[in-house]
Amino acid sequence: MSDEFVDTVPDEALRLALSRVAGATAAGEGSDMQGLRLDEVVLNMGPQHPSTHGVLRLVVTLDGEMVKDVIPVIGYLHRCKEKLAEKRTYYQYIPIPDRTEYVAGMNCEWGYVMTVEKLAGIQPTRRAEVIRVIMAELNRIASHLVAVGTFTADLAPLGTAMVFYMFRDREQILDLLEAASGARMMFNYFRFGGVRYDLPDGWVEKCRDFLERFPKMVQEYESLVETNAIFLQRCLGKGVISQQDVVDYAITGPNARASGVAHDLRRTRPYSVYPELDFDLCLGRHGDVYDRYKVRIEEMKQSRAIILQCLDMLPKGPVQVGSLKPPYVITPPPGAVYTAQENPRGEYGTYIVSDGSRYPYRLKYRDPCFINLQIFPKLLTGNKIADAVAISGSMDLVLGGIDR
Amino acid sequence: MHVFLAILRCVIAIVIAYLVVFVAALVNILFERRTLAFMTDRLGPNRTGWQGVLQSVADAFKMMGKEDFAPAQVDKVVFTLAPIMVMIGAVSIQLVIPYTKGWVGQDLNVGLIYIIAVTGFTVLSILIGGWASHNKYALVGALRAAAQMVSYEIPMILAVLVVAMTVGSLSLNAVVALQAGYKWLAFYMPFTLLIFYIASIAELNRGPFDLPEAESELVSGYNVEYSGMRFGMFFLNEYAGLTIMSMVVVTLFFGGWQGPWANALVIHRIALVPIVWFLIKTYVLVFLLVWVRLSLPRLQVDQLMGFAWKILIPLGLANIAVSGAILLWAPHWHLVMAIYSWVALLVFVGLFDIVLRWRLDRQRKKVAVLA
Repeated sequence: MSDEFVDTVPDEALRLALSRVAGATAAGEGSDMQGLRLDEVVLNMGPQHPSTHGVLRLVVTLDGEMVKDVIPVIGYLHRCKEKLAEKRTYYQYIPIPDRTEYVAGMNCEWGYVMTVEKLAGIQPTRRAEVIRVIMAELNRIASHLVAVGTFTADLAPLGTAMVFYMFRDREQILDLLEAASGARMMFNYFRFGGVRYDLPDGWVEKCRDFLERFPKMVQEYESLVETNAIFLQRCLGKGVISQQDVVDYAITGPNARASGVAHDLRRTRPYSVYPELDFDLCLGRHGDVYDRYKVRIEEMKQSRAIILQCLDMLPKGPVQVGSLKPPYVITPPPGAVYTAQENPRGEYGTYIVSDGSRYPYRLKYRDPCFINLQIFPKLLTGNKIADAVAISGSMDLVLGGIDR
Repeated sequence: MHVFLAILRCVIAIVIAYLVVFVAALVNILFERRTLAFMTDRLGPNRTGWQGVLQSVADAFKMMGKEDFAPAQVDKVVFTLAPIMVMIGAVSIQLVIPYTKGWVGQDLNVGLIYIIAVTGFTVLSILIGGWASHNKYALVGALRAAAQMVSYEIPMILAVLVVAMTVGSLSLNAVVALQAGYKWLAFYMPFTLLIFYIASIAELNRGPFDLPEAESELVSGYNVEYSGMRFGMFFLNEYAGLTIMSMVVVTLFFGGWQGPWANALVIHRIALVPIVWFLIKTYVLVFLLVWVRLSLPRLQVDQLMGFAWKILIPLGLANIAVSGAILLWAPHWHLVMAIYSWVALLVFVGLFDIVLRWRLDRQRKKVAVLA
């Protein structure tokens, strides 16, 4: 099975897919329908495909409408975010984690800052800790809104409405984050031992006001899709991840909890002020597309509860240890530290090796999207192509994190 | 002289048909964009002209100004033919639709069959366009379109048959005449209307049946390799289809041009006021199409075909049998037909969701998370 085009283009994934098809045909395992020979089609989805959420590329082998084989290809958004750390001081690197999982910048920054604090032995002030939790949970809500919105957009055209409603409400969260940090997406807000700015006047009231209106918004989303026969038909029982697969593939976050695996780092390995907070783990029972959608919706409600508790317990005091200015140059002692925190997409780990200089010797992320992506070939194979799109949407990948 | 008049009438009818198609397409594009924008909390195009009324005109000129480009490996003849052919269905239907009292391009005595027949041209051009494009996405989209439109033509015909049996004629003028005095068929046979309406949405490739151009799966389906005015023809046809199909539905089920003051303003035996009623009814239905598109997710191929073959076609056949029996034997068919059809509609709509939910839940229970 040779193709002039493929022979001239150095494309390993395409060649691999074609050679697999050729291998299967040679072994007599190709598609066969009552003696009728059918060709399998290798289809290149992405990196500019509208529903791969960024620049994920899937080389899909199709038998009619059925997906026979999937090869994910990544690296189109690679920006050396890990290598950059080695040429920047610890302080200069703070804005970069924002760019990994760019939908949840606050959470990613927190992971990096927390790791360096652990490395250098800095204890943030109590007020800063609470503010961090508030920001991270607000960003979690915003991130889940994007996740569910774009997922429903994959089941378009209903998503046209849903995604706009969700982005409309996400806008209000971004306004809150902007009022606190000065930025809407790349926040650069966390500092070693605290946060950059204290909350501005009236911010707490604004936040409370938003949280009061939030349940009504969620109700609107739920009423839009959950009674919709076609939506249910597209979601129920599709793309099931078993608990064994969750463990085997190290899937974390809402995708794992949708399968009923009670793994949430805010609970199982608590950090910051989470031990003092009262919230529920949202678990699904079926691990299908619908559960992954539902878990995210429920988590938004839990995040709201967490933020309300944090606003109640917000103590007075400085938001930065030591002097009011954050420490620009820190030199942690030699050593290596791994911390992980619960990002909207799962366990976001940061591993830093210090050689005692002003620069990290090595920095490595354990990005949840990258790990969650690994199950794609197994998960998508055997589904219809329309299902494959819905399933990959429900897994909620962010390519900034995968490619780093 | 009669020959000359007949030719003149012919030319006018064709010119009007083309005008209606193009104007309707441009109006519908803007109408849909503004309506969707309103429904999704946006503004929509509102800069070109007053409230953006010139937006689609500007878009049309933009498309005409683009390079007439064809990819290297396409089948040139067929690739060019498809966008030219695509309009045939939309324009031809216009020729038999009675716009008003005294004006119909040609009152064919087989009007209903004619409509069904020329609708099929659209699928032909989509199929050859997708095939000639030499693109996998286009091919999958074209094959989906062929399967879908052929399947949904059957329930459409089954619904039209009931109308034909009731009217006792295949002429559209007769259909409209029967519905005089607000005896719209929609009141007497809403169940038939539902079957026809669902099938007609599928024929239009509109959401939730827009699988041939499912942009989240197939990028844009059968027209993915088309650009410039070639794409424009597909695009215009799709949007003109909204109006045309609504016109057919209005003619068959909502009394056509019937309305008050029908004879208020008559020029050369052509009544002008009914045109307004016809347009109003049509655009209420176009609005409904836009609304449906926004509020329903896309079906999947197997679900789509299953819905046609397992639900709509059996129901359509049963509907024909029952309606036929009523027309044959019931002394006052109006009342009996209305009772039967409304009950059937309510039972279908009421049960559909419950049965589907029950089936889905049962399927879901079989799925084991614990390996």
